Amino acid sequence: MSLNIYGQSLKSRLLIGTALYPSPQIMKQAILASESQVVTLSLKRQNPADKSGAQIWQYIQEIVEQCQGYLLPNTAGCKTAKEAVTLAQMSREIFNTDWIKLEVIGDDYNLQPDPIELLNATEQLIKAGFKVLPYCTDDLVLCQRLYDLGCQVIMPWASPIGTGKGLMNPYNLETIRLRLPDATLILDAGIGKPSDACIAMEMGYDGVLLNSAVALADNPVIMAKAFAAALTAGEQGYVAGIMQQRQTAHPSTPTLDTPFWHQS
Amino acid sequence: MNIYINGQNQTINAEQTTLAAALSLFLNDRQIKSSFAVAVNGDFIGKDNYHNTALQANDSIDVLFPIVGG
Repeated sequence: MSLNIYGQSLKSRLLIGTALYPSPQIMKQAILASESQVVTLSLKRQNPADKSGAQIWQYIQEIVEQCQGYLLPNTAGCKTAKEAVTLAQMSREIFNTDWIKLEVIGDDYNLQPDPIELLNATEQLIKAGFKVLPYCTDDLVLCQRLYDLGCQVIMPWASPIGTGKGLMNPYNLETIRLRLPDATLILDAGIGKPSDACIAMEMGYDGVLLNSAVALADNPVIMAKAFAAALTAGEQGYVAGIMQQRQTAHPSTPTLDTPFWHQS
Repeated sequence: MNIYINGQNQTINAEQTTLAAALSLFLNDRQIKSSFAVAVNGDFIGKDNYHNTALQANDSIDVLFPIVGG
């Protein structure tokens, strides 16, 4: 089974970020170990004396080439639709892609997306020919509105960016899956451990986007492999059909002709 | 006249008032050759328009480069 992002078929269901790794070398090893084919990155001002930015960009290009993958630029740091639209246009020129991970932050404390600005930016970007992957909260109506605007991919959060708290509200996430059966749903932000990703996939999510959970692990390369395995396990569990929970115990060993007891 | 490039106040003379001229003045050789994109006063300016974009006093130019991100 493959992940479909705006008509592009991808073998891996993991999308991965490039920030916070102990070194560029470990970043490269970890991303390649994750088997991800979608790598997120951003844009920022650069001091003329700072050479690290150019070096990192070189590494990211090498990674994308080796994994035959795709760049997914984000609009991190934007707080208004206008800022996000401008940054998306700048990203499209540099990275030569219509894909944009749309982030419009409404609150600095928990980096929660601003739903009003997000919808506004989405509308403008879709009109301008972008393929928008919006980072949003786990609000069903917001996700529905984004889908109605033309987002084929919706990316609700598991929990606030960088917290590693996992799925704060599984009910909301399950409801979004149930109500938007044709949307490509990618759980984005707040993933802390491989089992979080596995749970999302067991719910029927199409993929997971994460960064800190791998980059901040004691061993990012092993953690990247763990996430790859967790996504596969969760996806196969969903495809196989998970049994219904039952209220009472049912013996799994046949009780007919049980030896020794019940013989008064 | 004064302009701002990435938040830094810079002075340009009357012959340097296109965006292309300002970029060549304030970006180093390595930056000029690398991947970057530009916005003036919050509006994106495509590469094809650097030469025909005239700057005004106190214009704010953002020059952005690729960086890691999540």
